[in-house]
Amino acid sequence: MRAVENYTFSAKAEERFKKLETQFPERESLVLWALHLVQEDAGYIPPSAISYVAERVGVSRSHVQGVISFYAMFHDKPMGKFHLQVCVNASCWLAGSDELEKTIENHLQIRPGETTSDGLFTYNRQGECLASCGTAPVVQINADYHESMTPQKLETLIEQLKRDS
Amino acid sequence: MAAPLEKRIILADYGKPDSHTLSVYEAGGGYTALKKALVSEKDKWTPDGIINEVKASNLRGRGGAGFPTGLKWSFVPRNTGKPTYVVCNADESEPGTFKDRVILEDLPHSIIEGMILAGLALESRQGYIYLRGEFYKGWQRVDAAIQEAYAKGYLGENVLGSGKTFHLATYRGAGAYICGEETALLESLEGRRGHPRLKPPFPAVKGLYGSPTTVNNVETFAAIPHIINNGGEWFKKLGIGNEKSGGTKLFSVSGHVMKPGVYEVPMGISLIDFINETAGGIRPGKELKAVIPGGSSTPVMTRQEVMRAKLDYESMAELGTFLGSGGMIVLDSSTDMVQLTKRLADFYAHESCGQCTPCREGSKWIADIIDRLIDGHAVEDDLKTLLSFTKNMGNGTTICPFADANVMGVVPIVEKFYDEFLHYLEKGKSGEGK
Repeated sequence: MRAVENYTFSAKAEERFKKLETQFPERESLVLWALHLVQEDAGYIPPSAISYVAERVGVSRSHVQGVISFYAMFHDKPMGKFHLQVCVNASCWLAGSDELEKTIENHLQIRPGETTSDGLFTYNRQGECLASCGTAPVVQINADYHESMTPQKLETLIEQLKRDS
Repeated sequence: MAAPLEKRIILADYGKPDSHTLSVYEAGGGYTALKKALVSEKDKWTPDGIINEVKASNLRGRGGAGFPTGLKWSFVPRNTGKPTYVVCNADESEPGTFKDRVILEDLPHSIIEGMILAGLALESRQGYIYLRGEFYKGWQRVDAAIQEAYAKGYLGENVLGSGKTFHLATYRGAGAYICGEETALLESLEGRRGHPRLKPPFPAVKGLYGSPTTVNNVETFAAIPHIINNGGEWFKKLGIGNEKSGGTKLFSVSGHVMKPGVYEVPMGISLIDFINETAGGIRPGKELKAVIPGGSSTPVMTRQEVMRAKLDYESMAELGTFLGSGGMIVLDSSTDMVQLTKRLADFYAHESCGQCTPCREGSKWIADIIDRLIDGHAVEDDLKTLLSFTKNMGNGTTICPFADANVMGVVPIVEKFYDEFLHYLEKGKSGEGK
């Protein structure tokens, strides 16, 4: 994970940012992209990255802060290594997402918004439909969808993630 | 394999190994429409030639609004001295809708070809695909497909040696349902909070960076190459019902059916046949109770209404609802409509962007009342209050249609299944629910 004091882009992020700079005629468009790059580097948006992104893109810090606070996917606090998001919208609820919520709460002893004390898991309820209704219920873990989930499969998956880290 | 009643045009390659790659797309006839438009039939496919063919197809916006695509394109002025932009709305997040995800992940080249053709029609040199942030796999697939298309000369400075330029880049949203609204999407694409803009001016005239812009849905673009290849008249006649609803349409069906999934069927087929034959019918031992036909923002249909419905824009409108995005949620007799409403009400309360008071406050009020009903703390007038203030939430009191969508999604459930809501109220008053 990238240092969060005096954050700067990793070499990979720098390379992608340089390409993105050529794709948008107005630099303001780069704000969301830059924040995605920061989050891929650091796992969240550290405070020092706000000034950094503002300077690199050429907008005010308050602009960057406003964007972070608007979009649910940008996290201004450190997250667990694995971010578990249970879709709780209509189709996932019909398919038993309540049971998945209970599984996480019982198994990891955390409530929505909390992170396990070992820093491995953060759990959130995802109210915005994840477009996995045909393979509901779905749990998103970091960037990946885990579809047609059952409490049993979810427990196994959590144990697997614990062992692998 | 196509399911019963399916007619696969856009989904022809869906399910084939590596359907997301250029070689599979080309093997199935991919990019032949572009080659016609730029090389073999280039005199025919002038900007007006393309727009007129799309008009003749009666293709209507597949994001949910159903506005005629050719007409939308004809509103974009040319020769303004400003650049023109082609934007793909891949922010699919209407609850119950998951058809675009299939195209993004498994058939990305069809979007790219459709966008290049739109670029030719509008004399645009730059397109953007705006994907919701959660679609990481979809973004990877689209990004890879764009690289392939550049390498093969379909994108770039001199597309297929025609001297025409078309560039394409991706943009990732970051978790905001409202960015599916086209002006909020443009705000977001300009690097800001996704607050919808007042219309007019419409994006056709003043869209991205203040320039003429068309914003179309993923499925809409994916249909374009087929229209150029086979003709607008052919596409229109794929629909078996009303002529105004041309073509095939993708429906994503979920909930209590045996075979949930994404299916492409001719416009105009019967809804109940679609549920029973294509989607495998209701679970054994249960009966059909209701259907949310086109995403959570379209009014719920009772069993009786479902029996009379055809899947085209006009028939659905006659029944007081909408075809919408084609995101269908099928509900059987076991469904608790109050709990269902809570899921939708919580969603809308969370996703209101907060610009307009009737929407910001009203969405929260709806969710609060449903919560009180479920917790057993509702008072006698709560349901009447809900049915009253929701009349003032949309109807032009707000900048965008979010509040209308919220009200259309929630209020018909309350009205059509009022007894279930009263039951919760009574349970609460007797102390049972607390």
